[in-house]
Amino acid sequence: MKDFFRRNGLLILIAAILLALVTAVVSALLGGVADPFSNLANVLTTPVRGAINAVVNWTEERYSDAFEQEQLKQENEELKKRLAELEEKEREYEAALQENERLRNVIDLRPKERSFDELESAMVTARSASNWASTLTLSKGSAQGVEADDCVVDGYWNLVGIVAEVGENWCTVRTLIDSDTELGGQISRTGGAAILEGDFALMGEGKLKLTFLPENSQLMSGDLVTTSGRGGVYPSGLVAGHVEEVRTDASGISQYAVIVPETDLDNLKQVFIIKDFTIVE
Amino acid sequence: MTTQDFFIKWGVYALALLPVWFCECFLLNRLPLLPVTPMLLPLAAVSVAVLEGAVAGAGFGLGVGMLCDAVYFGTNGAMTIGICVAGMVAGALAQYLLRQNLLGCLLCSLLALAAIDAVRILARLLRGSGEPGAMLSLAGREILVSLLFVFPVYALFLWVYRRVPKKTVL
Repeated sequence: MKDFFRRNGLLILIAAILLALVTAVVSALLGGVADPFSNLANVLTTPVRGAINAVVNWTEERYSDAFEQEQLKQENEELKKRLAELEEKEREYEAALQENERLRNVIDLRPKERSFDELESAMVTARSASNWASTLTLSKGSAQGVEADDCVVDGYWNLVGIVAEVGENWCTVRTLIDSDTELGGQISRTGGAAILEGDFALMGEGKLKLTFLPENSQLMSGDLVTTSGRGGVYPSGLVAGHVEEVRTDASGISQYAVIVPETDLDNLKQVFIIKDFTIVE
Repeated sequence: MTTQDFFIKWGVYALALLPVWFCECFLLNRLPLLPVTPMLLPLAAVSVAVLEGAVAGAGFGLGVGMLCDAVYFGTNGAMTIGICVAGMVAGALAQYLLRQNLLGCLLCSLLALAAIDAVRILARLLRGSGEPGAMLSLAGREILVSLLFVFPVYALFLWVYRRVPKKTVL
């Protein structure tokens, strides 16, 4: 047996174990920073990712121009109607905002403020190569000041995910449907706090779940769920998704809501990394 | 085989690995089937192991494993050991039990992919994340789709194998 292993690559196996241990230790010590080998591989493939991305985007645009004009016209009509409704709501909102400001002044309360001091625009250059995680690779990294745990949103302020690993000119974002995602959520209609959590079974369907629902929470299909911002790590008010249905978990004791993300994870091209934010509640 | 031959041979194998890597990480993940992305890098290590034997399989598996750790998210060194062992075992099986042909490669690939996914499932079960049913379903689809790619990957490395010096002396 000893000879068998000696003849069949025992030394190589020992080298593999040592290398794996070094990789694991370095990854653990560096936290969210990519280990040198990952960084090198991703930096070297940046042009390839960029080129493939450009070709795919160009092809999609040509396809859209050629075959989706009718659909786009219909969508445009619907959006015009929606815009008219929103303009009406905006007028009501402006009045409410002014009233709120007056009342805050009366009781000498600091105005509520939510500002994103530093935003970094980035392109999605690759999607997860593994079926066991839902990640996106972006075109910005530590050279642009991106750090692990920064939130990533799309152009409509819908939450896309959290930066998990940062390299020199790239970063990996763990999307909100990844089974390892966990962050505070808030139900917009009721204000109740809960936990937004990725789920392995739901990840395949492009959904996540809302757990630890507040007692007597009467969730309705379509209820909007945002980030709660509790703990101060992530900003509040970023739209995560809407409630699709409420289910009872396997134990039969507690309930959870299935959340459909507002962002279109499959078709994201450009996103924004929130590098710094200020919240005054 | 001279040292120069040795480096040329493994340099050519490394070059042949590039299209496999790019296909898996930059093309096929945009066009998922069933809907999963096939694992091509482990198939490349198994194909070379079947053709070249256990020692070369372990060595090539070590390199491919390091590449997998660099490009797959959150593996933290596990693929370096996993694919090195897969290469070593596939090479030994092809040398001593099976044949060094496509069928041998198909069987070894099935075993390697099943072993990789079994470790992934066990790791998740130990961490308490993921339902076994969902994970088994994903693993089944992933293995099935990946096995379809054994044919082109094996053909690519067989083509290289027929053109490089045969005897590897370490």
